[in-house]
Amino acid sequence: MGTLMKTPLLALAMLAFTLSPARAADPTGEAMAATCAGCHGTQGRLGTVEFMPLAGLPEAEFVRAMTDFRTGKRLSTLMGHVARGFSDREVRAMARYFASIK
Amino acid sequence: MSRALFLASLALAFNLAHAAHDSPAAHSPSVAEVRATLAAMPKGNAARGKQLNQSLMCASCHGNEGVAPTSNWASLAGQRAAYTYKSLLDYQKNGRHENARATVMQAAVSGMSRQDMADVAAWYASLPAPNPAPVRLDAAAHTRIDRLVRRGDPTRLLTACASCHGAAGQGGINETPALAGQTVGSFVRTMNDYRQGHRVTDANQGMRQFAQRLSAQEIRALALYYAALPKP
Amino acid sequence: MLNRREFLKAGAGLAFAAATLPVRAAQGGGHVVVVGGGVGGATAAKYLKLANPKLRVTVIEANRTYVRGYGSSEVVTGHVSMDDLNVSYDTLKSRYGIQFVFDTVVGFDPARKQLRTAGRQTLAYDKLIVSPGIRLLYDAIPGYSAAVAETRVPSGWIPGAQTALLAKQLKAMRQGGTFVLVAPPTPYRCPPGPYERAALVTEWMRRHNPTGKVIILDPKDSFITDATMQLGWHRLYGYNMPADYLKDLPASVQVKNSGRPSPIEWVRAKDGGEVEKIDARTLAVTTLQGVEKADVLNIIPPMQAGKLALDMGLTDASGWCPVDRRTFESSVHKDVFVIGDASIADAMPKSGFSANTQAKVTARAVADQLAGRTPGEPVWENTCYALAGSEYGLFVADVFRLKDGKIAQVSGQRYLPLDATPAQIRLAATYQQAWLKTFTEDCFA
Repeated sequence: MGTLMKTPLLALAMLAFTLSPARAADPTGEAMAATCAGCHGTQGRLGTVEFMPLAGLPEAEFVRAMTDFRTGKRLSTLMGHVARGFSDREVRAMARYFASIK
Repeated sequence: MSRALFLASLALAFNLAHAAHDSPAAHSPSVAEVRATLAAMPKGNAARGKQLNQSLMCASCHGNEGVAPTSNWASLAGQRAAYTYKSLLDYQKNGRHENARATVMQAAVSGMSRQDMADVAAWYASLPAPNPAPVRLDAAAHTRIDRLVRRGDPTRLLTACASCHGAAGQGGINETPALAGQTVGSFVRTMNDYRQGHRVTDANQGMRQFAQRLSAQEIRALALYYAALPKP
Repeated sequence: MLNRREFLKAGAGLAFAAATLPVRAAQGGGHVVVVGGGVGGATAAKYLKLANPKLRVTVIEANRTYVRGYGSSEVVTGHVSMDDLNVSYDTLKSRYGIQFVFDTVVGFDPARKQLRTAGRQTLAYDKLIVSPGIRLLYDAIPGYSAAVAETRVPSGWIPGAQTALLAKQLKAMRQGGTFVLVAPPTPYRCPPGPYERAALVTEWMRRHNPTGKVIILDPKDSFITDATMQLGWHRLYGYNMPADYLKDLPASVQVKNSGRPSPIEWVRAKDGGEVEKIDARTLAVTTLQGVEKADVLNIIPPMQAGKLALDMGLTDASGWCPVDRRTFESSVHKDVFVIGDASIADAMPKSGFSANTQAKVTARAVADQLAGRTPGEPVWENTCYALAGSEYGLFVADVFRLKDGKIAQVSGQRYLPLDATPAQIRLAATYQQAWLKTFTEDCFA
């Protein structure tokens, strides 16, 4: 089976992960956002480079981007992989963090 | 994507090693050169352009329907085909490299044929322009900017934006782009690139003189004005 | 150099030592000492200051300039110079107020929570973060040694003079010569790195030494990104993919081995790729399969946690440092944290990106502990871009969480899909170059 064809199955598997109550608590939005900084800049601040700055990004734009990456609706190189590591609630927490950075 | 198309693009892609590293110096064309370039533009096939929008990853930043998912990138829905075509060609052939973001475009267009470019351009041109953004200038600023757009500012030798980009921001006079519904981030970045002389591939570097006579506040206000313009 | 017992003895009773740095009660939240100014240490120092600007943060580092390992194989092929690998500590000092002590640690007293340096400074800490990197076990391969590596058979896995030597040797290699790269056993720093280096050398040879060839001798049967990397080699250099990889390719990906000799070969353990010994004079490499005569020999030997970790007694029998996975606090010493390649981090690859996200989690945990808070839920990430050619990018990308006391990968698919489009592949190469810049900034600026 082609890797692309696996993606919906994988998305389902990841959905199971994201809904599982195994973790006591989510990491904070800031803690999760720090994992983005290697490419998207410390606190999401980035000059004009190949990657997108995330600081100040409206919450809805961040949430939509991560959701669309995760489902594959939006094409990506590796953002789809990364997005599948975070639940909807966590994505919203990251979105709030980045929107709060000016 | 059709299998043949995929294999063809594959073959092209892997035979073009080092294209990006050896890109030519940016070329500022004359009006006549631009006219000749556009006259040689193949007839675009929008349906094929729609496929290329996916297979060439354009959609990731410019949207499945040409509407950019975030303000960081340009929306291309409803864009004039001539403008899109020339932009793609400039990235590939004419050394257009105004900033690091353009590096992404140079990688994206590597291996595109002129027909591919015309097809993608036709696809974007066939789409309805983006919905106006829910951003508004206050009344006084809107009046001031609307006047700048429609009448220009003779005291600063600023031609009315509308004289080339259309009163409704629909573009199309000469090779100029549509601006209605454009993302604020992309608009501001583009104007700054013209202003600082980083982007020079427009005819006779025409935009530079305008961008240099505008203040940073005016550029921001123009961006908000155009983002909120209704579809032409 | 002190042995471990002497090292610990040197640390005991530090109070008598002539202290040039004032040992005083920390103000405004505590004094955190970071040993090692590489990716892990620099990121930890910076993110400690971001978490609490009032913390006093001191980095002890032997070298005044950091030489980045990530991307350093591009020196071998001349794409960048040695100078391009240099990263300054100036911004960490000026923007964040981090103190740097350019010195080496020679004594450690975990009971008194003090360190002593070769320059006879004594530093007291409330919390200590150690990011010691790796130590190459040159002697693990008969015939190989640190001295041989410096002069004749460079490793270049820790960037420096050996990297430059390797570049020089490649350039001077006879036409039609053989570049042999000996890959390390797991675990090791930068899992796709040896294979990326082999690819970039192959690409370089196509231009400069078209009859030359690259042979990878490997004590392993697989590596991270192996399928996508080999697909790249196949497309770019006519590499013949092994049958077991061919059968896992999706139907839409067409690979037809030419059967002709390829300019790059990967000899796995199962094909006798494990090296038994080398002859440094003749550059003959003896494997289970026979003898391979190299013109340029590049050995990436087995590795363990950096020597400092060993000296400080932070390692276990594996040679790596056991830690509490939530905070990376050492399982051996309280208030001492070990991050980066030296730590035992389960599913996380030993990479700069891993060290960077470990540093952030640990910095936050340390700041929390010093403020009397319980550290929050950790999350780590790893994104390694690698090149099969300068315009052919691939990657491994993971998100990691704590699960039952271990670090587990939770994001599923890790690699560039095998049926990736040429556009994805080219963009991955573009992003690899961009990442070198943004990553360096996140760690050091």
